[in-house]
Amino acid sequence: MKVKIELFGAARDFNEQNLIELDLEEKSTIKDIRKKIIQYLDEKFNGNENYKKIVNSSAFCSEKNNIVSDNYKITNNEKIGIIPPIGGG
Amino acid sequence: MLHTKIVDSKDKKLSINDAERFISSVEFGASIYFTGTVRNLNNNKSVVGITYDSHDDLVIKSFKEIYKEADEKLNIQDKAVFIEHSKGYLNLGEISIIIAVACKHRDQAYVLSRYIIEEIKKRSPIWKKEHYTDNQSDWLKGNPIVHEKN
Repeated sequence: MKVKIELFGAARDFNEQNLIELDLEEKSTIKDIRKKIIQYLDEKFNGNENYKKIVNSSAFCSEKNNIVSDNYKITNNEKIGIIPPIGGG
Repeated sequence: MLHTKIVDSKDKKLSINDAERFISSVEFGASIYFTGTVRNLNNNKSVVGITYDSHDDLVIKSFKEIYKEADEKLNIQDKAVFIEHSKGYLNLGEISIIIAVACKHRDQAYVLSRYIIEEIKKRSPIWKKEHYTDNQSDWLKGNPIVHEKN
């Protein structure tokens, strides 16, 4: 199934379009998305460790605007937001 | 009474006057205006401006939750709260956030204002990219978001 990852904050550096499209197995979870993004970074940025740290310390947000756990099951064509560590104000 | 907004700096600058118009009322005897502004030095680096990024829907949701919690945790029912945060590029000295609160008494207003900014720092998905005098720029590290488990 296809999933779009919307990029925010430091994760915007992962792609100029501010979006990554991933191909995932049915019943995939946020945990699988994390792995897939790291694979993508390995391929596109030669395993940039700083980028990988961002992914590992990020939360994820469902299309319904809830922060979701690593076990959250993704639906087909769902748009998921990556939420790197925050610091507004 | 609550007003919340994410304001794109290309469209408008944040204004204390807007906040004052919203919270002013003869019901309230104490008002506090908190502003966050872009500072010229951070971690020994000379800053020329900051780009703010925001997950708008989640930020507004967090502002509403924080306001609601003030009823429950702080027991401050009668209040007016105005929260606006900028997104996009801001120059030195420009306002990134306004939190204006009005309550019946000063002790409530001080507690509420402080509570709101501290919770925003922990829970509202907003990011800063600092721009420096040497033309370099960096996303600030930040802290993992604090959230209710679903």
